[in-house]
Amino acid sequence: MLASAEINKEAPTSERPALEVTEGWKSFGHVNALRDVKLNAYPGEVLAILGDNGAGKSTLVKVLAGVHNLDAGELRINGETVDRTSPRLARQHGVSTVFQDLAVIETLDVAANMFLGQQIRRGWIFANRRRMFAEAADSLAALGVRVPSVRAQLGELSGGQRQGVAIARAVREDNPIVLMDEPTAALGVRETAHVGEIIRELKRRGKCVILVSHDLEFVFKVADRMLIMRLGGVQGLRTTKSTDHQEVVAMITGIAGDDETKARS
Amino acid sequence: MTVGEVPTSQSGLPTHARVAAGETHLSGLRRILLSPSPALALTIGLFALYGMTQTSSFLNGQVWIDIVEDASFTAIVASFVAIVIIGGGLDLSVGSVFAAGAMVSAWSAFHGQSVVVAFACGVLVGAGVGLVNGLIINYFSIPAIIVTLGTLFGVRSLVVHLSQAQPIAPLPNSFTYIGQHDLFGLPYIIYLALIVAVIAYLLLHSTTLGWNIRALGANREAARSSGIRVRALSICLYVFSGAAAALAGSLEAARLGAGTPVLGTGLELTVIAAAIIGGTSIAGGLGTIPGAVLGALLLSVLGTGLILLHVDSTLQDLATGVVLIVAAGIDQLRRRQMFRTSARRARAAENA
Repeated sequence: MLASAEINKEAPTSERPALEVTEGWKSFGHVNALRDVKLNAYPGEVLAILGDNGAGKSTLVKVLAGVHNLDAGELRINGETVDRTSPRLARQHGVSTVFQDLAVIETLDVAANMFLGQQIRRGWIFANRRRMFAEAADSLAALGVRVPSVRAQLGELSGGQRQGVAIARAVREDNPIVLMDEPTAALGVRETAHVGEIIRELKRRGKCVILVSHDLEFVFKVADRMLIMRLGGVQGLRTTKSTDHQEVVAMITGIAGDDETKARS
Repeated sequence: MTVGEVPTSQSGLPTHARVAAGETHLSGLRRILLSPSPALALTIGLFALYGMTQTSSFLNGQVWIDIVEDASFTAIVASFVAIVIIGGGLDLSVGSVFAAGAMVSAWSAFHGQSVVVAFACGVLVGAGVGLVNGLIINYFSIPAIIVTLGTLFGVRSLVVHLSQAQPIAPLPNSFTYIGQHDLFGLPYIIYLALIVAVIAYLLLHSTTLGWNIRALGANREAARSSGIRVRALSICLYVFSGAAAALAGSLEAARLGAGTPVLGTGLELTVIAAAIIGGTSIAGGLGTIPGAVLGALLLSVLGTGLILLHVDSTLQDLATGVVLIVAAGIDQLRRRQMFRTSARRARAAENA
């Protein structure tokens, strides 16, 4: 899809971006977590956000997920400007998120976690536990995520199983935009490959997937484009096919300098 | 499930899918023995048996009715305070709100309002204090223990000031009827406490709201990022507990036939003790309503029972303290046991 794209050119489709950030600024006290960030992500593509610790990746994801509001700049979801946001509103706009800290409740069971904040009701106010158990089991099975039982408390599961539940929750919501912050952090080689398959499947279904990861090898396998960040700013944008490990590492570490500065000089 | 069926990797994403639904992790028997409600029921039963061997007063039905009626007031408040604690908060103000409810409903009844209006006024004032608690805690980010300690002082002071420290009496018979009469040989108050406890139980264990409450208490950030309206939910919990405390206070005024401004002094601590004894985690996220009700009953049984056994009444609170700490200790053990079991399973799975 992006084979002919030039370096740093926006995705060459007539489609409207699913997610768009323009001139995004965010600070916490004296720390500028985001400095003039620009991001476009399109349906049916996997956009990876790369950068060192403290580059602003997680802050950017949290802005997209509705956890933080931008101080300045604009966030558009499917062309619609979102001013004040919350995770609830973001979800209503069609954004699902796998958070880095997974946002799971250890004292609740797997099914309750899968349906957190959007439970199946029976009657007016009652929770339909039976259906939630069944549907949770179904969607975990469909993704090949194995847990001892959907009734097991999440605190009893391994890190990898929790990650599986968090991913399955986001996939089950079937939203057009899926954000994944370090989805493979707790996983071994085989499980990482499995998450890669899930991401490719989401892409096939025309979803817009935004992926934050430290694992360059993984990113090169699944991402279409990469947004490289450093110290809160955008260092550059590359398509996977037009770049290599070396260039990306140079950009992450700042050896390469950012594209705008290079363009000016 | 057998060990061999556990995923052969410690990670959750193996190649082929197999999700075993409907299986419990701990064996059923162990789960029951280690869970707080059966353990409490057993303790109460053993204490009663022991009492019966010591004095015939324990065989007197009226003694038990009094014990249960006494526990009813604690149970009404404890049910909803437990929900606040499970939701990650704390409500210390209930002792004073109890008095406020009693005084307001007594005052309304004294001035010729009907029973229903009088009770409604009491409950509304309680809900109002709860609303103030909830708003301050959630919008000014002041810890719940401090805000509700503040309203505990403030509301008591207002109650004493506005009443000039004078009791309100006599109250019309229509108002006191529900507090002083029986239905099928049991005081109305016991039925009312049961209804309140059942409502709290359904709220926490069967509604979608209940699951959100437990999520809120276990991990507020995760609950928020899952789209739960954490502020609104938390505020609701304080409104509920304020209303429950005021309702219990109004019933107490009906039972006594008078509203006195010192009612409910120290109740907040008894109620929290009942909730904790019933297995509510002070850290939030865990707890049950039957546990809180049985905790209230145990405190009441101990209180009356020790008197019947001629134990020096000054030692009563010592017993309460010991029970409280032992209950919290058992709770810790239970949790450790639970995680140890799952760790063992995980290890076995890896070695399989």
